[in-house]
Amino acid sequence: MKISRRRFLKLFGGSVTAAAIFQACGIPEKELIVEAPLEMPEDMVSGTDNWYATLSPGESVSSGIVVRVMEGRAKKIEGNPDYPINQGKHNVVAESGLQGLYHPDRISSPRIRRGDRGEGKWEEISWTDALSRISESITNLKKSSGLVLITDPLTSHLSLVINQFVSKFKAKHIQYEVIEDTNLRWAVKNVFKQDRIPDFDIDNSDYVLSFGADFLNTWKSPLRYSRGYSNFREQSIGHGRGTLVYVGSHLSLTGANADKWIYVNPGSEGILAYSISYVLLDKYASELNISDKKDWLKVLSQYSPSKVKEFTGLPESQVEELAHGLAKHKNPLVLGGGTVGAYTNGMQNLEAIYTLNVLLGNLGKKGGVVFNPILPIAMDGFSDLSPDLANSSRIDELKSGDLEILLLRGANPIYGTPGFKSVLSKTPLIVSFSGIMDDSAMMADIILPENHYLEEWGSDIPNPGPGYPTIGFQQPVVRPVFEKRGIHLGTKSFPDVMMALAEIQNIDLELNASNYENVLRNMTDELFKLNRGSIKAKNPRDFWNGVLQRGGWWDVDDKVSNHKIGSTNGPRELTPAKFLGDKNIYPFHLVPFELGSLTDGRGANLPWLQATPDPITTVTWSTWVEINLNKAKELGIKEGDIVKITSEYGEIEAFAYPHPAISPDVLAIPIGQGHESGDRYSSDRGSNVLSILATDKDKDSGAWAWASTRVSISSTGNNLPLSKFENTAPDLSVDAHGHIIKTTSGESK
Amino acid sequence: MSDNSVKTSGKRKWSMAVDIDKCTGCQACVVACQSENNIPINTEDLFKQRRAIQWIRIERYWEGEFPNAKVRFIPLLCQHCDNAPCEPVCPVYATYHNQEGLNVQVYNRCIGSRLCVNNCPYHIRFFNFWEPSWPDSLKNQLNPDVTVRSRGIMEKCTFCIQRIRRTTRESDKNNQQLKDGDRRLNPACVNACPTDALVFGDLNYVDLDTGEKSKVAKLKEESLSKNGRGYKLMGELGTEPNVTYLKKVDADSGHSSHGGDSSHG
Repeated sequence: MKISRRRFLKLFGGSVTAAAIFQACGIPEKELIVEAPLEMPEDMVSGTDNWYATLSPGESVSSGIVVRVMEGRAKKIEGNPDYPINQGKHNVVAESGLQGLYHPDRISSPRIRRGDRGEGKWEEISWTDALSRISESITNLKKSSGLVLITDPLTSHLSLVINQFVSKFKAKHIQYEVIEDTNLRWAVKNVFKQDRIPDFDIDNSDYVLSFGADFLNTWKSPLRYSRGYSNFREQSIGHGRGTLVYVGSHLSLTGANADKWIYVNPGSEGILAYSISYVLLDKYASELNISDKKDWLKVLSQYSPSKVKEFTGLPESQVEELAHGLAKHKNPLVLGGGTVGAYTNGMQNLEAIYTLNVLLGNLGKKGGVVFNPILPIAMDGFSDLSPDLANSSRIDELKSGDLEILLLRGANPIYGTPGFKSVLSKTPLIVSFSGIMDDSAMMADIILPENHYLEEWGSDIPNPGPGYPTIGFQQPVVRPVFEKRGIHLGTKSFPDVMMALAEIQNIDLELNASNYENVLRNMTDELFKLNRGSIKAKNPRDFWNGVLQRGGWWDVDDKVSNHKIGSTNGPRELTPAKFLGDKNIYPFHLVPFELGSLTDGRGANLPWLQATPDPITTVTWSTWVEINLNKAKELGIKEGDIVKITSEYGEIEAFAYPHPAISPDVLAIPIGQGHESGDRYSSDRGSNVLSILATDKDKDSGAWAWASTRVSISSTGNNLPLSKFENTAPDLSVDAHGHIIKTTSGESK
Repeated sequence: MSDNSVKTSGKRKWSMAVDIDKCTGCQACVVACQSENNIPINTEDLFKQRRAIQWIRIERYWEGEFPNAKVRFIPLLCQHCDNAPCEPVCPVYATYHNQEGLNVQVYNRCIGSRLCVNNCPYHIRFFNFWEPSWPDSLKNQLNPDVTVRSRGIMEKCTFCIQRIRRTTRESDKNNQQLKDGDRRLNPACVNACPTDALVFGDLNYVDLDTGEKSKVAKLKEESLSKNGRGYKLMGELGTEPNVTYLKKVDADSGHSSHGGDSSHG
């Protein structure tokens, strides 16, 4: 259906970007308008800065940020001191948003493919042209379910808009995570009987035991946990310095900061959790007041420390010590995630681990598992919190389905899911909303570049929340960079485009709003009526300004005090983890791990993130494989050797990094490089470890078991200098005389 | 203080405290500094040449081997030494100690002799071996308050002197006290640090309302006292750093670490 110019201008014309300056308190009387450098408002003084509150998206939760804007340009990002999740703190990902906004390879207008898919030949077209073509294809759909959207997990208002779209169009929607959290969500549902992931009160704990959850760096809400970690280690606070123990097959950043790192055979972490449970019930039942659960010992007795030694590789004394630590501290807390939840028995492992919290009686307590309340306003149509929301089995379904139109937004499945390419070859029309080239956008037929998040409206409901209802708000802090290309080119807001597509098809999304900004405003009117929470105002307009000023709305007085989990599922027989690949041909366990910089690969197009050293190896800009020092010597492998890592599924090359803190049975490779297509920073660089992973699924949840691959290693005979930050000397950097890092064993200020 | 120390007689004396026990090694401070101070992008080549520039960096040390390996992180930045070894060796006085205790680098005076980085025991000075360049669009992000250096110039951490200048000028002009912990004053790294391992402030600060000293002054005093965790990095060299480090707590060991007691600076 062709769109008339008039209709198009009605849909997109004349939107004025209004922004409210960040202010910790006080509500401005009028909104300010941020102008581009060519048009200065009369009252703007050169050389002065304004700070605007907005959100920075993360893999799981957005963090609240404030952005320094001078003369219409964004200069610096810092954490929003008011935002409950991060309270003023920020990380490398949030900081690097500025490079995304001003990236030299941003796509500045819609494009249509010329030549074959993946060839990279594009022609610029107008928005009118692009939307006409897509809407024509929608009109000609044979089946409504032939229209498929794959997006990142959506929360809050964006999920409202898309859910309405999907239901009115009777289309299909898949929320996509590269490193899916399905098993964690199932474990939370099965053990805590909750859809929302709880907050973990590390701040007030005195003993944290983490099974594979790299919570200081990449797991769930790292800024919130790091904030808590500061309190946790603070010696002057009541409980004294907390103790952190990390169990895992790879020394993550959290493991590196732990007081003790315990390596167990990959896949046996659930067994260890049950073994600890056994000791708790056997030795500390009355102390912990769990004598009513002694019947669990019937099942748990097969997991007694002596019986599981051969599975975990841990001596009995170690298990006893862990149980002792948990039982004797006043506020113990147990977490699990990462590879532990990514074997074929991942969900079972996580259930066993989180059940420890039930035994320790820390649910709803300070220093323990703090449940998140539901939001106070009707959120029907908002985010689906069901455990299966981003289950990779749904991606698998596409392989046999009849796709006619595929819309991709915030998702790069060509990169993240091995074998996804086969889906594309059967899809007549692929549309990508990516604002910069990536593996999936390269395979699209039409690209509709969306605004960068610093140019966008939005909201986020963090999951895990901070223990009270929180809705973060996002506002444009600068005018869209490509606005100068005129209304028919440039970038546009993804939800606005979806609403426009619906209008062109004459489908009413029942949002009662002409654009996305108004969708947000409608909901804020509802929040205003509640008459509680962090923003006090006399009328909805002032309330809106207040919300934008502070970066969101939250209510610290609305806490969950009485969530009962009812009867706890007792322990069950654990299925041993299955690993792909014959042990004799593929002797190593492959542990893919996320870096704080590149995360699931999305950070590879930002130079600051590429240049951020991995804290432990200090390597940058590359893909490396961590191999035990002695094992490397045995195999004649030196640092910088280019080695081949082979699984049953494929082969990649990586730089060898002989590593003092990895098991000789494990090889660890960071995720994030090896993009087949991208921008100047991510292209032709490193290898994609995801491409050689077994496609096995969790036997209970159907989640991708991405930690279940065995591999072999071989030299190519080539060696290149490694791009790293640490020393050039071949020896390990050891502070042998304690000149640099001084330590003390006792507690003292 | 030794007789050779430079006396700083300004009203303010800037100082930092770094708690190694809280530092997780996350690199948030590193990137925040690069964003604030227009530091050139560290390309792969720069790393391979060992010429990457990071005004604040996280050094990582190993202890032991699997299964008992330990990792230690320490943030390293310019110590703004009161007895700075870098200052007397500059042939053109491009680096000097200012009245507020900062070691100042004057970019347009520097001729690139590199004697200063040679003499610095902490290796926190960096030389622009190459002309910094950015793609045009990324230049929009550059901080107008900070000079962009060219090839041949030494650079290093300034405690974000541009922030110090901006905020102290404003508060002095308005006759208001600039409160300890003000986020507009704090260097970029301090604001970023997710665990508050970095603390910055004025050692001579006395709150006009409460009479309290600054957080950094309290930390310095308490930690450098008898049972404290504080120490000066390589303090035995006599550089008199204005950064106080707080020892890492090694709860696993039953003994005090090798290296002996902290030396006071």
